[in-house]
Amino acid sequence: MQQSNRLRPFFENITFDRVDNEMILNFGPQHPSAHGQLRLMLHMQQEQITKAHPDIGYLHRGMEKMAENMIYNEFMPTTDRMDYIASSSNNYGFALAVERLIGLEVPRRAKVIRMMLLETNRLMSHLFWLATTALDIGAMTVFLFAFREREYLMDLIEDYCGARLTHSAVRIGGVPLDLPDNFIGDLRKFLDKLPENIKDYEDLLDTNRIWLMRMENVGVISKEMALSWGCSGVMLRASGVEWDIRKEEPYELYDEVEFNVPVSDKGDNYARYKLYMAEMKESAKILYQVLDMYSETEPALMAHAPQYISAPKLDIMTQNYSLMQHFVLVTQGMRPPVGEVYIPTESPKGELGYYINSQGGAYPYRLKLRAPSFWHTGILTDLLPGHYIPDVVSIIGTTNIVFGEVDR
Amino acid sequence: MAQHQVNYLKDGGLPVALTTIDKVVNWGRSNSLWALTYGLACCGIEMMASGASRYDFDRFGTIFRASPRQAELMVVAGTLTKKHAEFIRRLYDQMTEPKWVISMGSCANTGGMFNTYATVQGVDRVIPVDLYLPGCAPRPETLQYGVMMLQQKIRRESASRAQKPKRLM
Amino acid sequence: MRAYTPKDNVQKKPYYTDRYWVAPQVAKHDVSSDDVFVHDLDAIKAKFEVLDAYIQVDQMVVIINAHDNFAIIEMLKNEREYNQLSEMSAIDWLATEGKFEIFYQMLSMSKRKRLRIKCKIDEKESLQSVEKLFRSADWSEREMYDMFGVVVNNHPFMKRILMPDDWEGFPLRKTYPLQGDEFAAWYEVDKIFGKEAREIIGPENRDPARIDRYDTERFSRLGHEVPRGTDITNGEPDTPLVYQEPEGVFLIEKFDAEQSVVISDRHR
Repeated sequence: MQQSNRLRPFFENITFDRVDNEMILNFGPQHPSAHGQLRLMLHMQQEQITKAHPDIGYLHRGMEKMAENMIYNEFMPTTDRMDYIASSSNNYGFALAVERLIGLEVPRRAKVIRMMLLETNRLMSHLFWLATTALDIGAMTVFLFAFREREYLMDLIEDYCGARLTHSAVRIGGVPLDLPDNFIGDLRKFLDKLPENIKDYEDLLDTNRIWLMRMENVGVISKEMALSWGCSGVMLRASGVEWDIRKEEPYELYDEVEFNVPVSDKGDNYARYKLYMAEMKESAKILYQVLDMYSETEPALMAHAPQYISAPKLDIMTQNYSLMQHFVLVTQGMRPPVGEVYIPTESPKGELGYYINSQGGAYPYRLKLRAPSFWHTGILTDLLPGHYIPDVVSIIGTTNIVFGEVDR
Repeated sequence: MAQHQVNYLKDGGLPVALTTIDKVVNWGRSNSLWALTYGLACCGIEMMASGASRYDFDRFGTIFRASPRQAELMVVAGTLTKKHAEFIRRLYDQMTEPKWVISMGSCANTGGMFNTYATVQGVDRVIPVDLYLPGCAPRPETLQYGVMMLQQKIRRESASRAQKPKRLM
Repeated sequence: MRAYTPKDNVQKKPYYTDRYWVAPQVAKHDVSSDDVFVHDLDAIKAKFEVLDAYIQVDQMVVIINAHDNFAIIEMLKNEREYNQLSEMSAIDWLATEGKFEIFYQMLSMSKRKRLRIKCKIDEKESLQSVEKLFRSADWSEREMYDMFGVVVNNHPFMKRILMPDDWEGFPLRKTYPLQGDEFAAWYEVDKIFGKEAREIIGPENRDPARIDRYDTERFSRLGHEVPRGTDITNGEPDTPLVYQEPEGVFLIEKFDAEQSVVISDRHR
């Protein structure tokens, strides 16, 4: 149908006060450096922004509504599509919230594998962040370099769970699979090479004049502003607040591994960039320790809780009662106790929290996803005024927002 | 003056090739498909990966362009929501003829797993689609194979007259 | 006779009914068991009315009156060191009680404690904004309005945030179906082509059931059963993966599978 359609430019949501010399610039929703579908309405005085107005919701798919219409296990693949750069961390956050709700303890090997997945995902996410931000600023080489390393990590994840992007590699009560034979060797090989690679990026960027001009003293977030806007993760730590949920409220095995939390008090883009680079090194450090833990664990992968978790395949195939329970769990879903939990985890972007309100049924009564990027987008309202147009791109880059997570 | 023996049939012969305008134009079109960066969601990441180091999309002549005026291929990579639908139509209208659309991934094909109030159930409700890629998310290889299939489709088309208007459904 | 479906909660229901099922409870502990929370609670109780308070999964839950929300959160922020509002949203209890439940999830970094303030409001009642205390509430309250229709007073910009501005209905209410209402189903068609194009484009196809007629591994063919995995293509050729036309392409070298190199070592 090639009829003329009725699309005209329109500016919903906004009332314009006509002031002399003021220009209104529409940025997005489909802009190559908007990291997804961010729409910004910018009031400009010449090149300078006087008022910024982020408009989100262009990727709102109704995940919270879906959760209310799904059994708990069914929702797991949906969490993949939230922060799709690091899917396993979303899977993990949801699994942890349900486990805390029903009070499950996960076997140690599953914990070790989850730690590996979480940290490889953190590496993937940070590499991807580096690649895209560098590309936005014009450093094509870093984009190609960082994607090269990211592909190796994707191979590892693919060996483990079969998917590159949407892993669903964590189950409620454990992990579905043991590590494949080559995994530990390959991961070690990758980690041994990683410091060299990080040095490559740093050599290209750290003293690069263009990079410094775009990054230093641009997008400064004060401590009060970061706390007030609900920032978390690197956005908060770059503003001088030492708060890492892995350290402060440890989950899984984070209290057993040795790692530092890099903090900076500058609050600008460059500080955030340095923190991302430092976090990659810390992740590698954690992964080395976790790799050593793996061989000392028992082979059990799923928690033993017949009321909520299906028995191992061998039991299902040989024992009648396990088969019946498995059937009920698959067709009707598990029914967690009545109650509510809010469980935060430290995803690569920041504090990823799941609020679950269960009324004892197979479907959650209410599930609220607390995605860090939502507030990191909101802060643009207060952060952008006073900056210039080129700064917008670098600020959006370093806030590290992913729109699957913002809009959900 | 040296006499060069010219064998018209061997070693490539004369630097002359006889063909039709259709073939030449389609050769040009199919080997320089410039795609609009339309990464909407997860598939957009795989689209970026196929443009990046390992999968190297440039060898197909596919370069991602940020402006619809410079693009002739729209790879709709990701979930299209109802709020976004009008923008995809507007950008599609802004692209110059001839233009093609690849719908990448389940969400773009049919709405995929997001069978909800906010998702358009398939981009073909809004713009005409030439090629559907299955997968959630499709691997970069799938996208590259899809582009090769599209190249075949372009080679079969007639280049001399304006494209027939595509039906939406 | 058609089965009765309630209109006040159209979310998916389990197809079974379990009359003897008594759902267990997540343990609620007394606040006095935690010496940090007990001081916080005393401070709240000294000035305001507290309807209920308990500790569930290591976090204190305090249920208050809705009109106290601003004052209590202000006190928690300024006096009790709860320096971040990590999350706030609503829960729809309209079907059972005719009320919305609002929760504020707060975090104290110095005490490493999280607490949840909850209050209930009627459907038409509005709430005081806490945007002056925590800027993060700016967007949360807009999202709450967008999804539930809970109006917040003293908010600088009370507009929809996730859904388009001209959207009808509040999606996260239990009365709103998952797949949207009539307005949602035709939204993009109405907006782009106009209502007159509805007939040409047709209704949305939301049926996920698609069957491959040649697949005998997962589908049985009723009335024409064959053993599992039998080849029933009846000589119909499989579509091979073709990268180029078999006769070759003008000006382009022919693809030769024999000549192509397969790289097996990834870390090459």
